[in-house]
Amino acid sequence: MTEILVVDDSKVMRDMIVACLRAIPDTSFVHASSGLEAIERLSLAPFDLLVLDLNMPDIGGIEVLEFVRGQDTLRALPVLIVTTRGDDQSRERVMQAGATGFLPKPFTPDSIIAEVRAILTGRAESVA
Amino acid sequence: MSLHVVFTLAGVEYALPVAAVLQMETFAGATFVPGAPAYVAGIVTVRGLVVPVIDLRVRFGLPPAELTTDTRIIVTEAQGRVVALRVDTAREVLQLDIEKHQPAPSVVSERASGFVQAIHALGPRLLLLVDLPKILGEKSHDHSPLLLDDDGAKARPQLPG
Amino acid sequence: MTAPADLREFISAYLVEAEEHLAVANTQLLAVEAAQRSGSTNPRAVRETFRSLHTIKGLSAMVGVEPIVAIAHRMESFLRDFDRSGGTIPPRAIDALLKGVRAIEHRVTALGRGDSAAPPSDELLTELDSMGLAAGPIARMPEASLNLDPAILAKLAPFEVDQIFRGISQGMRALRAEFSPSPARAAEGLTINSVRERVATVADIVRVLPRATPITPDSPGGLSFVLLLLTRATNEVLVQAGGLAASAFHSIAREVTEADAALQPSIAEVLTNSADDQSFDTQTRRGVVRVDVNRLDEAMEGLSALIVTRFRLVRSIAAMNERGVNTRELSQIMTENSRQLRDLRAALVRVRMVPVSELLERVPLLVRGLCRATNRAVRLELEGGSAELDKSVSERLFPVIVHLVRNAVDHAIESPDERLRRGKPEEGLLRITCSARGSAHLEITISDDGRGIDRAAVAQKAGRTSPSDNADLLGLLCIPGLSTREIASTTSGRGMGMEIVKRTVVDELGGELEVASELGVGTTFTLRVPLTISIVDAFSFECGEQRFVVPVSMVDEIIEVDPSGVVHVPANDDGSPSVDIISRRGVAVPMIQLSQVFRLQPGAKASPKAIIVRRAGAPIAFAVDRMLGQQEVVIRPVNDVLVRAPGVSGATDLGDGRPTLVLDLVALSVSLNALPHALGASR
Repeated sequence: MTEILVVDDSKVMRDMIVACLRAIPDTSFVHASSGLEAIERLSLAPFDLLVLDLNMPDIGGIEVLEFVRGQDTLRALPVLIVTTRGDDQSRERVMQAGATGFLPKPFTPDSIIAEVRAILTGRAESVA
Repeated sequence: MSLHVVFTLAGVEYALPVAAVLQMETFAGATFVPGAPAYVAGIVTVRGLVVPVIDLRVRFGLPPAELTTDTRIIVTEAQGRVVALRVDTAREVLQLDIEKHQPAPSVVSERASGFVQAIHALGPRLLLLVDLPKILGEKSHDHSPLLLDDDGAKARPQLPG
Repeated sequence: MTAPADLREFISAYLVEAEEHLAVANTQLLAVEAAQRSGSTNPRAVRETFRSLHTIKGLSAMVGVEPIVAIAHRMESFLRDFDRSGGTIPPRAIDALLKGVRAIEHRVTALGRGDSAAPPSDELLTELDSMGLAAGPIARMPEASLNLDPAILAKLAPFEVDQIFRGISQGMRALRAEFSPSPARAAEGLTINSVRERVATVADIVRVLPRATPITPDSPGGLSFVLLLLTRATNEVLVQAGGLAASAFHSIAREVTEADAALQPSIAEVLTNSADDQSFDTQTRRGVVRVDVNRLDEAMEGLSALIVTRFRLVRSIAAMNERGVNTRELSQIMTENSRQLRDLRAALVRVRMVPVSELLERVPLLVRGLCRATNRAVRLELEGGSAELDKSVSERLFPVIVHLVRNAVDHAIESPDERLRRGKPEEGLLRITCSARGSAHLEITISDDGRGIDRAAVAQKAGRTSPSDNADLLGLLCIPGLSTREIASTTSGRGMGMEIVKRTVVDELGGELEVASELGVGTTFTLRVPLTISIVDAFSFECGEQRFVVPVSMVDEIIEVDPSGVVHVPANDDGSPSVDIISRRGVAVPMIQLSQVFRLQPGAKASPKAIIVRRAGAPIAFAVDRMLGQQEVVIRPVNDVLVRAPGVSGATDLGDGRPTLVLDLVALSVSLNALPHALGASR
């Protein structure tokens, strides 16, 4: 079972992401509506993938990413950043902060599935 | 001494205590309600409330009449119910000394005597005081099923098979 | 492999969230404007507005509403620059931003109706593109005065540091609290969200930051959260409220030394220029669920069906009783069932209730616009109280309130000069209060201290004699087409007249309307409306020269009747109505002439229609003369014993002031019970 933590302060957005990713077999989803809640959940249970929005009320996605990369236990966690800011500069910044994948909004169901599949198989390969 | 509304039906004057009267309105017709007793003219809306209208002529066994500009409905309240009464005219409000009320003789038609509880002589005029609760009918009223026979009597009740 | 998700299915959920964000944007923009008008800034409000628009842009892009993306994009990029650099947003830009919000709102409403969102006008886009930047960043505070880890300090935005200093200068305690999540604490209900909520009841939370810690039994996740707080409460209170240990709290305000004393005046100066922190905690989770009003209507219809079934059960039991069966226990169960249905209905009605504040929250924006357009100065006082009302009532009341507010600002309240001449304060006062009246009604008053209504002028305009009392005056005001102004002003004189106000409040909602006015002093309108009513979508039709209405949810289908395809079954001797049979897609459906059931004269029907409903799964058709249309109707109860009839579930007003019966055709067919005979005879 692939445990995926979906983080976005918009419930509609989270529901849409889950609706898209359900197509991937053996996936299970947990929701978090803020960066702080996401970090809390990450510290208490293991996840296989973090899908993260950048624009959130209490702490932004970049900070969450930096925190995750700063923890030994979470350093290897794959993180897919999903954001409205699709410009190259943002992509640079996000990848430098340690993101595994970068997906600008709007995205189609196919594109997010492709991204997640690529990340998960890439991980499986590197573990093997 | 208390205030009474005076109204007429077929030239005869009746009176009703003002305490039971919510308001008086002109009347241009009521919406038909299927299955209602023959003396119910239908329903009207008064101040946002849906109110049944009793045609007092029919109730009292008098021949029905056409609408005129004088036709009024008297919106009454009794025993928690709001019901309107359609009358030929309703123009006066008088102070009557209830001490002077007398029991009603059988001058009026058979059917109406049940609804008149007293009479009051005011000079040359004779005012008939109506029994409002009697007019409005018992609280537990028999539902008449929808199909009435021509004379207004109830058809046999239909039971679910 | 399942089919790929269709994101357009999320449109209605998206619309609900978009509306929420737009409400936030409106409120926050007005807060920014208010702050700037008094010479300061409100960076928190700027950030909230930015975030709302950024979210709207992202969601709109996902569901494919390009016009909204275009508008939101320009607004959020403008605001992002401001969020970063601080500074004052020019009034022209605030106007443009508010226009942008309105433009998005219109499109959201259009989408809600099922229409498409129009592309934004060039005019709007140009206006949004030319919003300029003004003023520089606000002065930064000397952070060294805070007893805080530099790493944490570096993460704070200038306005947050500002907020801490302001709090300290106002005598609040600046504290840092720490919370480490753990499975044990989560099991006790202590999560970062719950701790934040609880602490927020006794303190202002400036910022919450995550901090990596070594893994210890107390901090098994290697994580703790640092909360920076401003509070007037003692540590004991904080501990009680937050569920954290006393040792978790540390002060971050440094002792003031001699050197610092020299700095004090300059800090004080800058602090007095900063905005009052309006803690719009837009992130409070109230445990609220957003529900589509349609789903509530569905639930209500389901309940109505339950009630019809109960009616049939009661009659069955009565029949059994007549045959000598002991039905005592059954009757008791039915009584219980009746009570349960009543409770369920009450619960559903409660679900439809929305707070009165929802009705009033658009008024400040409206007044602002009206003041601008008419060059008046008006102070608005709103007292909403905690009353709630049915969502449909609220929706119908809103245009009424808009009209009365427009009247007040445009007609009633005098210009500032005139007011001064009359010895009134320059600023006019508009006061709107809402309060519950008993358990079933809401009273709304809209009062102004303007010129009052000139009874003689109104009477003259209407061609009547001067009104003798307020009720008469109201009657005059509500005459269609009446306007006491010779020239229709730009803001009023169009749209609803008082007549429509009366129609909505009194006829449609079954409420009351009153006016009280004194020349030269002011006017007060009082509305009384029921808190809950039943509103359904209904078909209106004509039968036997009468109009009736039937709820849409009850109707299976409406068909044209082909007279040649109708099989007539002769009536039985027992007086039950004759029944016809028609064929619908190969299935025999019994059809009853509604005019016959009601003993009405059948109209001359050129193309008769039949309304098909289902009784216990089996379709039955009712033939009527013609269909008139479909509309939302308010159902008023028809309760008096004299007019209670099976098949009549209430009355409504279709706009002519007379009651029109609302029919429950399913219950009607149950009470007729003639159909088995008809179907038996046809075999």
